[in-house]
Amino acid sequence: MDNALPTGKLSRGKVVGKALLKIGAKKTKRFVTGGSKEDNHEEIADIIFDALGELKGVSVKIAQQVALGMPFLPPAYLEKISKSFNAIPSINKALVRKIIKTELGLYPQDAFESFEMTAFAAASLGQVHLATKDGEQLAVKVQYPGIRKSIESDMSLIHFGMKRFAKGQNVDHIVGEIEARLYEEVDYILEAKNCDFFREKLQIKNIIIPEVYHDLSSEKVLTTTYLEGLEFDTYLLANPSQESRDAYAQLIFDSFFHALYKLKSIHADPNPGNFLFMQGGKLGLIDFGCVKKVDEDFLQMYNQLHLNLIADNDDISIIQQYIKLGMIEEESEEKMLKFYTEIIKPLDALYKEPLVGDSYNFKENPDFAKRGFEMIFEVQQKQFNSVHKLNEQFLFINRTLLGYYALFEKMGAKIETRGVKELMRGLK
Amino acid sequence: MKISQSAKEKTKIKILQSAVDLIIEKGFDNASLREMAKNAGVSNPTIYNYFPSKEKLLYAYIEQKHKEAIATIQEIEDFHTYTLREQLQTLIETELELYLEDREFIIQIADMVFHSSGLKMGKLYETNALFIETVDEMLSIAIEAGEIQELPFREHLPKLFWDYYIMVVAYWVKDDSEMFENTTQFIDHSLGLADAVLHSDILSKASDLGMFFFKTHMLNSLQKFASKKDSLNLIKRKLGDVLHG
Repeated sequence: MDNALPTGKLSRGKVVGKALLKIGAKKTKRFVTGGSKEDNHEEIADIIFDALGELKGVSVKIAQQVALGMPFLPPAYLEKISKSFNAIPSINKALVRKIIKTELGLYPQDAFESFEMTAFAAASLGQVHLATKDGEQLAVKVQYPGIRKSIESDMSLIHFGMKRFAKGQNVDHIVGEIEARLYEEVDYILEAKNCDFFREKLQIKNIIIPEVYHDLSSEKVLTTTYLEGLEFDTYLLANPSQESRDAYAQLIFDSFFHALYKLKSIHADPNPGNFLFMQGGKLGLIDFGCVKKVDEDFLQMYNQLHLNLIADNDDISIIQQYIKLGMIEEESEEKMLKFYTEIIKPLDALYKEPLVGDSYNFKENPDFAKRGFEMIFEVQQKQFNSVHKLNEQFLFINRTLLGYYALFEKMGAKIETRGVKELMRGLK
Repeated sequence: MKISQSAKEKTKIKILQSAVDLIIEKGFDNASLREMAKNAGVSNPTIYNYFPSKEKLLYAYIEQKHKEAIATIQEIEDFHTYTLREQLQTLIETELELYLEDREFIIQIADMVFHSSGLKMGKLYETNALFIETVDEMLSIAIEAGEIQELPFREHLPKLFWDYYIMVVAYWVKDDSEMFENTTQFIDHSLGLADAVLHSDILSKASDLGMFFFKTHMLNSLQKFASKKDSLNLIKRKLGDVLHG
């Protein structure tokens, strides 16, 4: 009976198989025609994402997570991924009704005072509806059924494909991490807990975090207070003043480091859709589906390393820090230096660039993110080995940070870094 | 004293529920009308008045669920804003929702219909009047509102939808996924396909093609046959053989 379902592995396998065949054909073509490598990457990205698009549903999210977890992928892939963000299938009225009834035990009209059957926003693996109860405006996030199951079959396909892409390198842990993250993201009970945690602990002026209505939430439905504000693109379209841009960038920057150093947790999805630009300079943080807890010992080492980087300490002492983090294997100094200068140092330079001075103006460095992604790509070209050496927590933190910097760049904002560095030095 | 219609309805529902409970407990064959009457707190003659046989009771159950489903749908204030597909999907989901409570009972019925000859499929068709009427209404409104075009075989579509619905129930009965979400997806995807067909010209194109073949080839052949008396008789005889075993 299962075979009749479109979620079956068989039909998905066929789509991916077809894509792999196409890539094979493209490779041959390049070999014959001698086209540029970059073109070829873009073509391959096209094929892969066409195939993922055909699979629909969770695949888009997987693609996003792959991008987050594997920053060494060529920029062509990353660009495709960002384009596919809104391609999540919509849940029609019949299905919304059914899901609310199954999850909350009541039909929408009975569970809420009013309930808009048409969603006002897309969310990770679902959509968000406006509702009211006890005079309060609520945002109700509803998840498409069967997502969990399709994560399993999609990820095993991605794993299969990635192994080939990585030419025999071990990618198990990265795929495993992405899979775990996806499972977390489909668990709205966990998201509710994360939201509660941040609401209680992230006490920063002008940061607004919605309140969870636990009795109207379940694994697949999440009800919170509705925050009214502009989305990132709309905010920028309204041509806000420089002060406003700077203030918002500062707020995002400060809250990221505050969460990392004080709460030892980060919101590891630098998607602009997670922010709402509210009236009076307030910033709404929504969507806590991708929260990463950071290990205490790791954070100490990470912090020490980055303080050393900012202080411009010599390479050898930096390498020692990386050995502690397990990202550089201990061998002859010459070999370690070569590996460090070729693979890691360019990334370090990127990391510290905005942090070295007292402030950093993204308006004056409008190619920061582009340089960043290109550098990551270059590093990856030089040595694929780096894949298994990257510490996963390290990867997530820096990738998220780079994602935020990309936003600041779009905003043309300037950030002050003194406060954050104080926070770093104060870590006990 | 004359019993009011609503009191009658109440008694009927009471009997149906106790019958369902008993059948779940003892199985269809072992549950007697007598015991059902006893459990429902009505006399033996009363239960026979309502349901002359156990089979009749089954059909009444199915009809009752149609009624309840439609009543539930009528409570949806903005139902008129639903697309045809959403309306049909809501109808099916609501029926399944009502079946959920009596799932074990439905499994037994499905088993009798599909696997043993205990119940005739054809008999089930007698229970679908209300369902078909509702679907027919949804279709008419959608056509009138210009949501979909006038369709060939229009009058057969509601019956076809009933067949589809039976298939969904058969799927649901075998579904062992969490919260039956496979069934939910099955409905969503299959109705998505049906919706695409309804919104396209496929049906009318298919009927054009059919008419073309019929007019140019079938009619031609029939006329040929008609002119040859022998072969027409041969066909008649063959048909007679088939029809009369």
